Amino acid sequence: MAKLETKGIVKYFKHESHNLMALGGVDLKVEDGDFVCLVGPSGCGKSTFLRIIAGLESPDEGQVIFDGKPVTTTGPERIMVFQEGALFPWLRVQDNVEFGLKMAGIPKEERSQISKRYLDMMQLTKFADFFTYQLSTGMKQRVAIARALVMDPDVLLMDEPFAALDAQTRDLLLVEMQLIWEKTKKTILFVTHNVAEAVVLGTKVAVFSNRPSKIKKQISIDFKRPRLTEDENLLGLQQEILSELRPEVKKIK
Amino acid sequence: MKKNVLAKKIVFFTILVLVWQAISMSDVWPNNIFPSPYEVGEDLVYMAADGSLFFGIATSIMRLAVGLGIAIVGGVVLGIFMARVETVNQTIGSLVLGLQSIPSIAWVPLAILWFGLTDGGIIFVTAIGAIFAVTINTYTGVKNIDPHYVEAARNMGAKGTQLTTNVLIPAAFPYMITGFKQGWAFAWRGVIGAELLFSFLGLGFLLNVGRQLNDVSQVIAIMLVIMLIGMAVDGFIFKKIENKVMSRWGLR
Repeated sequence: MAKLETKGIVKYFKHESHNLMALGGVDLKVEDGDFVCLVGPSGCGKSTFLRIIAGLESPDEGQVIFDGKPVTTTGPERIMVFQEGALFPWLRVQDNVEFGLKMAGIPKEERSQISKRYLDMMQLTKFADFFTYQLSTGMKQRVAIARALVMDPDVLLMDEPFAALDAQTRDLLLVEMQLIWEKTKKTILFVTHNVAEAVVLGTKVAVFSNRPSKIKKQISIDFKRPRLTEDENLLGLQQEILSELRPEVKKIK
Repeated sequence: MKKNVLAKKIVFFTILVLVWQAISMSDVWPNNIFPSPYEVGEDLVYMAADGSLFFGIATSIMRLAVGLGIAIVGGVVLGIFMARVETVNQTIGSLVLGLQSIPSIAWVPLAILWFGLTDGGIIFVTAIGAIFAVTINTYTGVKNIDPHYVEAARNMGAKGTQLTTNVLIPAAFPYMITGFKQGWAFAWRGVIGAELLFSFLGLGFLLNVGRQLNDVSQVIAIMLVIMLIGMAVDGFIFKKIENKVMSRWGLR
């Protein structure tokens, strides 16, 4: 049984005069421990698809099935990492990381034990007392990832988390992300518009078509890790994905 | 404060006092109509010495604190409801906008009829004068919260009052502090105004006594005290909180 499955997800973008079909019946199966990267032309609804899986939006048609049961609301087993991090500026780094634990009513001592582990994993220990405005964009994303991991979710949903980062920081986090995935064995869905990023991270890359989008092609990648963006072995795969993607991008009018 | 800003202020106020002294010495108006700064200062010292000044200040501030406290709690609750429940906004929200346009002093007759000539009446005027400014700013603040904050919080299991206290209130705080500041300004006007009309204690009452005794220097002295308290609250309390909030929220 798949860990997570979507069946015929349809979503309309509502405009004043007409509805635009963004997702045209998306079917996806994700096995436990998969690292699935979702790529597609901009505006194809891949972020919306992720938000539907998170339960932050509801589909107009179709179902999200998690561990064999349909889910319609948001839940701590499916945690989202937002593009801009969405960290809380009124909390220190450690309190941001512990937020979900606090909501779950876990006592303070236990919270700080758990958060310590993840702050350490994300190399944030020195910054535990910082406020978010004192952090670089890369640091903020580390905090956002730590905040999500603390929840110990079955599925991590990441919406272009590295899009706002400079190239060096991104390369660093791409390697770290692979280590985290190997260490934690999480199932990860990762939305990106960057094909190089997708082939470095994913065990699978799912290519979205243009609107109304479906998953046009899935490609499995089983190169050894940690993979690097400049890895020549990955170039062929990049080309393959780009050749799927290019006609879709051209369709955007 | 920067050194040269402070210097400019000192020079300006020194000149102001000197001009005032010059006018009072020039015999344009008799001294009982236009007293000198020295006479006003003398009155202040006199009122401070017999304790009436501090008692007046304490009474007014106490009423202000209670009234403003009620306004802040009530305004925040009302503002959040307006922002989160559309029906509340469409109904009570329009009433709030209407009530906001009533000057707090216009509530005085109603306060006297309902509460009599009591502290309760003054606190009522103070609170009602301030509550709508707090409400409207809280509403705006909650409406302007980055939706990702709320989504992330819900995703991590926050809901109901937990969501309100842990996310909505802190996220809306930069706007709420503006509301508190406006609310305080309205409350301070309200408390002095109400005391002027129907109290036997407080700074407003002392103003009225000055008028009844034809004591212009007492009236000016009390006005100065009202102004200085206003400046102190704005400059020390609100400015400090605002600066902290603005930098932490990354707005500066």
